[in-house]
Amino acid sequence: MRAKIPLAIGMALLLLMLVCAAVPSWFAPYDPLEFDFAALLAAPSPEHLFGTDQFGRDMLSRTIYSARIDLQIAVFAMGGPLLIGSLIGLLVGWYGGWADAVFGRLADVVVTFPFLVLVIAIVAILGPGLINMYIAVACVGWVVYARLMRGEVRVQKAADYVAAGRVLGYSTGRILFRHVLPNAVRPVLVYAVTDMALAILLGSSLGYLGLGAQPPEAEWGALIADGRNFFTTAPWVSLTPGVAIVLAGLGFSLAGDGLAALLDVKR
Amino acid sequence: MSKVNGLTRRASLALAASFSALPVMGLPGTAQAAPVRGGKMVYGRYADSLFLDPVLNDANVDIWVMTNLYDTLLLPTNDGVGVQPGLATKWEMKNGGKTLELTLREGVKFADGAPMTADDVKWSLDRCRNPKNGPWTDLVASIDSVSIASPTMIVLVLKHPDPSILAALATFNTAVLPKKLFEAAPGTTDEEKAKAYAEKPVGTGPFMLSSWQRGVSMKLVRNPHYWKKGEDGKALPYLDEVEFQIIPDDSTRLLKLKAGELHGTEFVPYSRVKELKAEKDIRMELWPSTKVSYITLNCHPKLKDGTDNPLSNVKVRQALNYAVNKDAIIAIVTQGLGVPMTSFMSSTTPLHHKQTLYKADVAKAKALLKEAGFPNGFETSCMMVAGNQDGLNTLTTLQQMWAAIGVKLKIEQLDNPSLTKRYRAEDFSMRTASWTNDISDPGEITTYFAYFPNIGSLHSGWQNKKVDALYLASNEEVDVKKRAAQYKEIQEIYAAEAPIVFLYETPYPVAFRKNALGFVQIPLGNNLFETAYVAK
Amino acid sequence: MNRGAWLLGRLAQIVPSFLLIGVVVFVLARLLPGDPMSAMLGDHASDATIARLNAQLGLDQSIPVQFLAFVEGIFRGELGVSIAYRVPVTQLIAERLPATLILTGLSAVIGIVVAVPLAFIAAMRENQWPDLVIRSVFQVGLSTPIFYVGLLLLTVFAAQLHLFPVGGYGEGWADHLWHLFLPACTLAFSFAAILMRSLRGAILQVLTAEFVDFARAKGLRSRLILGRHVLRNALIATVTLVGLHVGSLLGGAVITESVFAVPGVGRLMVESIFARDYPVIQSLTLVLAVLVSLAFLVTDIVQMWLDPRVGR
Repeated sequence: MRAKIPLAIGMALLLLMLVCAAVPSWFAPYDPLEFDFAALLAAPSPEHLFGTDQFGRDMLSRTIYSARIDLQIAVFAMGGPLLIGSLIGLLVGWYGGWADAVFGRLADVVVTFPFLVLVIAIVAILGPGLINMYIAVACVGWVVYARLMRGEVRVQKAADYVAAGRVLGYSTGRILFRHVLPNAVRPVLVYAVTDMALAILLGSSLGYLGLGAQPPEAEWGALIADGRNFFTTAPWVSLTPGVAIVLAGLGFSLAGDGLAALLDVKR
Repeated sequence: MSKVNGLTRRASLALAASFSALPVMGLPGTAQAAPVRGGKMVYGRYADSLFLDPVLNDANVDIWVMTNLYDTLLLPTNDGVGVQPGLATKWEMKNGGKTLELTLREGVKFADGAPMTADDVKWSLDRCRNPKNGPWTDLVASIDSVSIASPTMIVLVLKHPDPSILAALATFNTAVLPKKLFEAAPGTTDEEKAKAYAEKPVGTGPFMLSSWQRGVSMKLVRNPHYWKKGEDGKALPYLDEVEFQIIPDDSTRLLKLKAGELHGTEFVPYSRVKELKAEKDIRMELWPSTKVSYITLNCHPKLKDGTDNPLSNVKVRQALNYAVNKDAIIAIVTQGLGVPMTSFMSSTTPLHHKQTLYKADVAKAKALLKEAGFPNGFETSCMMVAGNQDGLNTLTTLQQMWAAIGVKLKIEQLDNPSLTKRYRAEDFSMRTASWTNDISDPGEITTYFAYFPNIGSLHSGWQNKKVDALYLASNEEVDVKKRAAQYKEIQEIYAAEAPIVFLYETPYPVAFRKNALGFVQIPLGNNLFETAYVAK
Repeated sequence: MNRGAWLLGRLAQIVPSFLLIGVVVFVLARLLPGDPMSAMLGDHASDATIARLNAQLGLDQSIPVQFLAFVEGIFRGELGVSIAYRVPVTQLIAERLPATLILTGLSAVIGIVVAVPLAFIAAMRENQWPDLVIRSVFQVGLSTPIFYVGLLLLTVFAAQLHLFPVGGYGEGWADHLWHLFLPACTLAFSFAAILMRSLRGAILQVLTAEFVDFARAKGLRSRLILGRHVLRNALIATVTLVGLHVGSLLGGAVITESVFAVPGVGRLMVESIFARDYPVIQSLTLVLAVLVSLAFLVTDIVQMWLDPRVGR
């Protein structure tokens, strides 16, 4: 029973994030983009529970509305690599041979580059912004998924049901996608959940460099980076999104761990 | 360097600081008690120097510290508008302003102990005005020939009378270098020699380079042969050593200052000034500058992608200006430290003509947009250097202000080379930018901002034949009143045509520990450490 | 296949990888918009000046020609001259690499020292409160942006309590370690979290594995079981993870080094990307790739040595 507590907490946190992203106006007391020249950098008060930033924008509302962008980052920055990586892993795991060798070299190249540096370079080439960030992450992040999937497929390939499928005359496509994939996909999915937390962190690193979401759109990392000049004088500017990002990360990790335990995936 | 401030081509003059008049009234740095000799000052910089050759460099990170190593014939005064004796003690205009005679200071030695000769001066001036030598040759383009009349007399013959020639001789690129040492440097071309020489530069300035780890730290030690005297009648500088530490992150730099690991630091973010003023161990210094911050507008009829450009219509540009509440921007971006621009040049620039520019008026802005055929506004975009907080704060505010007249602004953060590439290709709608003068004369900023043939008026494509003609005439006008009238007209036309969105002027925010005194930053940006000292 | 042959094969794989890395980084660098000269000379340098300097640097030649020159330089042991700083790239890297190596090494050590004992405690008390507390704390570590952690540590331990210097690198070994302790903690924060999690999993797996039961059945005392089997298997997991994460530690160094003003190669790399300093970008990437590959190789060898099953 106790093993399910983290999972429950994780799911609750994620649900909270999801609801904030879906209907921010239910929770946010103010328009997140509205300036208030009378309350620039106002400390937390009954009017502004978590204070305001240098434009007089309500930090709580900014943080709640940003959940939408962060969730989007979590999903897309994980989704691209997941799809591409899984497909590649499935194919090279199944066919092996020269395709596997080429994959091995390519993967070596990608993993020997410092991840963040490669993403920064790609974003510099394509220009800043979320979509380009997703492309950059997909270019680099697919390797982990491909490796996980490849390993799993190679195990499954030797399984009885594959031989049975062959005997029954099923096409390779059918065996691969209808039988091998569902059996091999669990570790990949579990990893994907924790990967979403990493994606949000990556978004914040790019936000620190000004290369992530572009204003007035904001994600938590960019909000924290914005507030770093007020770290000592108005800590609430960076603290509010800081707490949000930690809670979201916690949600994804706990859910990931819980899921792994539930599905009995070795980590 | 545009990393922090937008425009790259800014810079500064050479040396400075007269011995007697150091604590200028109204300026921050104050030396009350007798200065202390000896010791070391550690100063935090946001970026390292790149190339310490006065002629071939192109960045403020070089120019602003180079004046500690080199001297020029004349020096800018600490208020940045006049000149005072430097390596030359006297100067005289003759022949209707076409001949300039300069008497050299006697007994000046380079940091290696070798005496400075007339030969070094002539060679240095000839090198800096060689049109092949870098971006600064324009400033001394009026010089026709340099000759040595006697071992202590240099004569410049000008092509035409030049109202800015004295200021030019107080600008960093005319610094005097030791000819023999430079020519003995390895390499065949001037550029190769400059590269080798700038590794271990030798000048007549108060300090000399002792070690330099690129991007990390630079150490300057006292030049024992420096010619200027301190308040105590002995040779400057007071300090034995200045160490520059390179710390790009603003927060970290300030934490180091607070912890006492630095004596001083430059580029304090405006948002931190109030907090530092309240610290009991720290003294905030706000030095008057020539810095203006503005938005460059593309005025070409079409954008690079072939679509019509609304900004080509002067009424649209005026509307954008009217929609901006400069006071609000100043409050948000500079935390109240700036003042609204009153011309395209800073109020510290000679011949600046003060105007009230576009007082915020949303109704008027809307009416102008309607007249221009955009009753519902339009969409446009503005480029900025990624991660620059001032730029981001400015554009976030403009986004709101322009939304009120229906103009939808998209912010494009680009890394510096990408932005520069598009700017030079004139492939942009707007960009954030700032400027500081390198020379104490209105000519430099005007040739970049308003005189089309140079760089197409900040690559905006805006051209006004009247302005171009006035500018050319002003370059040869030695009557100060007539030149002032020409500049008044240039500034009025520029304001009415609005090829930029006028924003604000700001001082240089520098912070020091209470016991670190005597530093001077002149409006052109030069950091002067010759009179700096650390009290016990 | 014997181990020697396996090792040779492993080495042979590295060569094409490096070639590929060289090509990729070269192409990526050239794809970056803008060029070093306009990055350096700024907005208003004349086109003629830029063209002349580009020609001097050989940047006006075709990409394949430039690439061949780059490869040829490597074989002659010359990595070129930094465009921005005008000093040889080898000198620049030699100046900067030690700081990064110490930083990543120190953070790996801190990560291991913190994570290993806690992972044991968490695994021994699976799903009891020590486990839950340890895991939650590490989850926070895993979910906090690195620059935020850095700033927090700096503000509290350096600026307020004066226990450590505010960034920088210092002079001399002891001073280096003292300066790099806080940045190393910053880097170790997320690394320790990852390590703790995997290690806990690995220990749990071993504890439930059949051979432990078998050992118990043989009557070995449980402490011995722990010592022999669990430790060894945990060690294998640790080594694997440390090896795999050398790359990400180096990547995390990028931001840590900026926040703490550490003169390392991570900061140099980002500065060089923003300055379009091609020679530095290319050479530095190769150097880092060599380092990471070496780390992988060492990992493989240690794994082989610890676990006889690997490499057979």
